[in-house]
Amino acid sequence: MGTFIQQMFNGLTVGGIYALIALGYTMVYGVMRLINFAHGDLCILGAFVGLTFITSFGGGGHLGAAMVIFAFVAAVLVVAAAGVLLELAAYRPLRKADRLAAVVSALGASMLIENGIMLVWSPQVSVFPSGLLPTTTYHIAGASISFVQVMIIAVSFVLMAALYLFVNHTRFGTAIRAAAIDQDAARLMGINVNRVIASVFVIGPALGAVGGLFVGIYYREVYFTMGWTYGLYAFIAAILGGIGNIPGAMIGGILLGLFNAFAAGYLSSSWQDAITFALLIGILLVRPTGILGERVAEKV
Amino acid sequence: MQNLATKYGGALLWIVGLGLPLALNDAWVAIAAMFAIYSVVALSEDIILGRGGMFDMGHAVYFGIGAYVTGILNVNYGWPIFATMPVAMLLAAAVGALLAGPLIRLRGDYLLVASIGFNAIFVLAMQNNLLGLTGGSDGVAGLDIPRLFGFQLASQNSMFWLDWVVLGLVILLMNNLDRSEFGRTLRYLKQDELAATMIGVDPRKAKTLAFALGAAVAGLAGTLFAVQLSTVSPSSFVFTESVTLFAIVIVGGQGSVPGVLLGTALMFVLPEVFRGLAQYRYLVFGFAMILVMVLRPQGLWPRRRARA
Repeated sequence: MGTFIQQMFNGLTVGGIYALIALGYTMVYGVMRLINFAHGDLCILGAFVGLTFITSFGGGGHLGAAMVIFAFVAAVLVVAAAGVLLELAAYRPLRKADRLAAVVSALGASMLIENGIMLVWSPQVSVFPSGLLPTTTYHIAGASISFVQVMIIAVSFVLMAALYLFVNHTRFGTAIRAAAIDQDAARLMGINVNRVIASVFVIGPALGAVGGLFVGIYYREVYFTMGWTYGLYAFIAAILGGIGNIPGAMIGGILLGLFNAFAAGYLSSSWQDAITFALLIGILLVRPTGILGERVAEKV
Repeated sequence: MQNLATKYGGALLWIVGLGLPLALNDAWVAIAAMFAIYSVVALSEDIILGRGGMFDMGHAVYFGIGAYVTGILNVNYGWPIFATMPVAMLLAAAVGALLAGPLIRLRGDYLLVASIGFNAIFVLAMQNNLLGLTGGSDGVAGLDIPRLFGFQLASQNSMFWLDWVVLGLVILLMNNLDRSEFGRTLRYLKQDELAATMIGVDPRKAKTLAFALGAAVAGLAGTLFAVQLSTVSPSSFVFTESVTLFAIVIVGGQGSVPGVLLGTALMFVLPEVFRGLAQYRYLVFGFAMILVMVLRPQGLWPRRRARA
């Protein structure tokens, strides 16, 4: 029972991170039908920006927690700016082109950001300092859950709820949903589709930056190629929930986190990734539109 | 006229290429050999992606299977290199046809994602020493040199010539594909699947065949690759290799032989030339990929539309 609860909380922590990153994939895909392969790298960029902020200004004690909050703000701002720039430079000129051109542009952007991180920061593993946050551990039914885990789970759920409310209950959120359904019709209704797309490239990377910095704080180390790993997992989560579907990405993230945690806890760890990918292919075959995705009629 | 120029220009370039070992030192001949090998893989990816229109982002699997078959049969069972070649092609083709079963039921981005998944599973299977044959993370090492009719193709030059001849044959295959019924079927399917079905094309059959053919050619390249490096390890067939192959076809020009060759030269030879700038090269590389796509979304050397 202890193991079960333990793995459940581990899964929820990682799942929250996956969900935050997955939202960026799903929002961009929903509006542009583009897999933004650079998204994972943007998220890890957030972790590096946050780390720089913490190490250059951070003190111990009470200042630590405040510094962490400022680090999040800095990471979110920088990564959101990078997201907008990416859309302007690499995707906007290709909106009317063959969709594979945009895919390759996204792959190039991913390579650019990943190696940019390596050059600016380090080709080695960068370690997050300890003692930034309280090290309290809570014991529940034989499982020990750290403060950081509770924080990650709480913050990611709050952010997801906020995004859900924003998209479903505000004017601009309605515009985003309209542009996702039919860009031309949305334009005819007076919606500024360019602004909607730009906003998606602010919100997605901003949430992703939080997710990326959580990765750094949770595992206490970041590495420039981590964008691929986490990006891929988050992307699988987005597909699991139904790509293009915002609540789907949240559910997919949490489920994938839980699945991974239990697979690591109860099954072979060297085959863990293979099990995840087999699950992905299985889902694609049985229900390609994911858990919450609607069945899209085939275009003729 | 232009048609003739490209046709004979290509043949002429190939003949000039035969003389490369006379002008270059061993290190550069090795790069030229790798160019030939990767060109073959990229052309085989083009059969599935560029001509078949299926977003295959797991092509390194078939390349890897060819290399592993040659490595395992040669090192563990003592088969001569050339005897492993047909087995490498057949097994790769079989796996291609097998994976095509589920893959072609998906379309567009879903196919792309599923093929990434197969690539990841393949690499993990090799790393985890599948059936105790693949040698784990170290792979299979110590391959023999190729021997043909008593000749030993031991020098880098002779291996280059072998690769170059295979490249020439594969280019001929691609040109024939353009003119054959199968090539036209693929082209039609890519442009309008519904219309193609209406005139009696069986999409499942054609797509499965495209996967099998692309995989067989990739498997052939795998044999050459294993011989060139005399070792086979999982890291050569990871998902990023598939991404590079995918990008070569799109950056070069889908369905265009000169385009794919140009793409291969840019993605594999230029990084070697800029070895001195090692740490900056992938940065420049990523930047170049965006730039080419923005400026030439159809690729650097697109297929001519008139004949399509």
